[in-house]
Amino acid sequence: MKNIKQYRLIILFCLCFLAVANVNAQSDWPVPAKENENMSPFLFDDDMVLEGRISYENSCTSCHGTPGQDDFTPMAPPPGDPASDQFQLQTDGALFHKIKMGRGSMPKFEDAFADDELWNIVAYIRSFNKDYKQPLPNMEGVEIPEYSMKLSFDDNIDKLVVKVFAKNQPQPEVSIAAYVMGTFGKYLLGKSQTNELGIAYIDVDPTMPGDEEGKLSVMVKASKGFGRAKMNEEMVMVEPTIRKSAIEGRHIWSTDKMAPVWLKVSFFITVFGVWFVLLFIVIGLRNINKANKEEA
Amino acid sequence: MANKNDKSRRKFLQKLGVAGASAVAGSALLLQGCSDSNKSSGNKVKVLTADNKLVEVDVAHLKPGDKIQDLSYLQERGREGIPGKKFVMVVDLAKCKNARKCMKACQSAHQLKPEMHHLNVLEMEDPVRDTSYWMPKTCQHCDNPPCVSVCPVDATFKRQDGIVLIDNERCIGCRFCVAACPYSARTFNWTEPKNSEEFAEVTYDMELNVPQKKGTVTKCAFSADRVREGKLPYCVSACPNGVYYFGDQNEDLVTNGTTKKTVRLSALLDNNAAYTLMPELGTKPSVYYLPPRESKG
Repeated sequence: MKNIKQYRLIILFCLCFLAVANVNAQSDWPVPAKENENMSPFLFDDDMVLEGRISYENSCTSCHGTPGQDDFTPMAPPPGDPASDQFQLQTDGALFHKIKMGRGSMPKFEDAFADDELWNIVAYIRSFNKDYKQPLPNMEGVEIPEYSMKLSFDDNIDKLVVKVFAKNQPQPEVSIAAYVMGTFGKYLLGKSQTNELGIAYIDVDPTMPGDEEGKLSVMVKASKGFGRAKMNEEMVMVEPTIRKSAIEGRHIWSTDKMAPVWLKVSFFITVFGVWFVLLFIVIGLRNINKANKEEA
Repeated sequence: MANKNDKSRRKFLQKLGVAGASAVAGSALLLQGCSDSNKSSGNKVKVLTADNKLVEVDVAHLKPGDKIQDLSYLQERGREGIPGKKFVMVVDLAKCKNARKCMKACQSAHQLKPEMHHLNVLEMEDPVRDTSYWMPKTCQHCDNPPCVSVCPVDATFKRQDGIVLIDNERCIGCRFCVAACPYSARTFNWTEPKNSEEFAEVTYDMELNVPQKKGTVTKCAFSADRVREGKLPYCVSACPNGVYYFGDQNEDLVTNGTTKKTVRLSALLDNNAAYTLMPELGTKPSVYYLPPRESKG
């Protein structure tokens, strides 16, 4: 009997411990002090939030659910909702570090995302906190390079050529991402890095449909450290495509506007012709009737 | 004679009075209009005009939240469609978990009662293997639409961007189109629509098909009103499971409503063995389905 009581006590203790361990799963996750104070080199903007959202929905939703909905997957320890205080009270650096390095069932995203993409995810998580003010790093002594870009297209190798300059000097090792702007979203053409001449090449699929002149609306982003640049341009890169109207030509379901003149004319001639004949007969019969009466 | 003169004088005075009053009222209105247009806050915003031109307008001249009141403009715009586009939808059946968020979003946008559907998530049962999958079904926006062929009053029509719409100002409620549609995509307003009193004063926009009218047919409009603003349709952006892709076939790009990831339409269709519903009928639907696959787990 005494043994059973002890056994129960041990189980109770274990259960309590598990419960406490679960609650503390997040706060027990030590982040190195240097990482904890790490700050985003980029100012969080709508564009970053949108990019972060895409990454989040692809890689995080399956466990963390939609932020603010508390619909995370029940696991031990619970992954938690990124919109909750549990997440929002942490520093940007801590969030960044935890996403990057992972622990236990939280995967390590170091290889999946570049640093700027990780900051996009942090920006997205912060977009659920109305009281959040982004802490800005001490920029004294740090010079932010102002990048400018030149875009061209080499049709011999079907590659988009991006040249990156800062103060007229070509910039090596700058990360480049190029997108084609669609009606509802942007399509990633490719990512690359500039070489020692400050040039990056990105493949373009020549089968992509352009507009009537073969133009595509391209958006190119360059980033390295604190430096960032974005550029939009319409460029002739692919074969021109003629955009047909879905109602072009004559169909059984076309409106009468599409009917040719001969059809309209012959239709009305037939209709009026039939009416004329009918009227002719009726008047003729009436006249006969009248003549009969007069005779009588 | 004197009497006659008397009468005409009275009439003349009456007319003069009416003319004077209307002149005063008219000039007051005119003045008010002028003073309104002269006021400007200095803040300019860029807006898109009906003929796709970007113009700068002073903020003071915009009425926030105001819907366009001009019925004839809305009718013309709805018939015209968006030049150069051909809208398509791709439904990934493997991802649908019957969350029904799409249906909710659709019904609240289009003033539909719970039993009326522009979009319905159906359970497709396989009695032999005793298994089932979920299939969201909307109007297929056929490139060869049988419903448009049978409409006797040109109320339902196809636009240059591929969207098939209904003009319930013209609809006579004959329901030929309901009978002609092989996909059962259309429903009929048998009773007064939901919250009809609230919508009594709203100008009819055929791209949204709101306010709904009793005795007319209604169906999915591919959210033509949202698409005009460059936004994804109501159902597409409401889906939590990444089921829907929507985009422009001419660009060969479709965007997922959940992840907002944009992919090539041709690659998506080819790599996933996409199919359309009842292809043997030759209706050429604009909605593609990706087959429900076995889950990897």
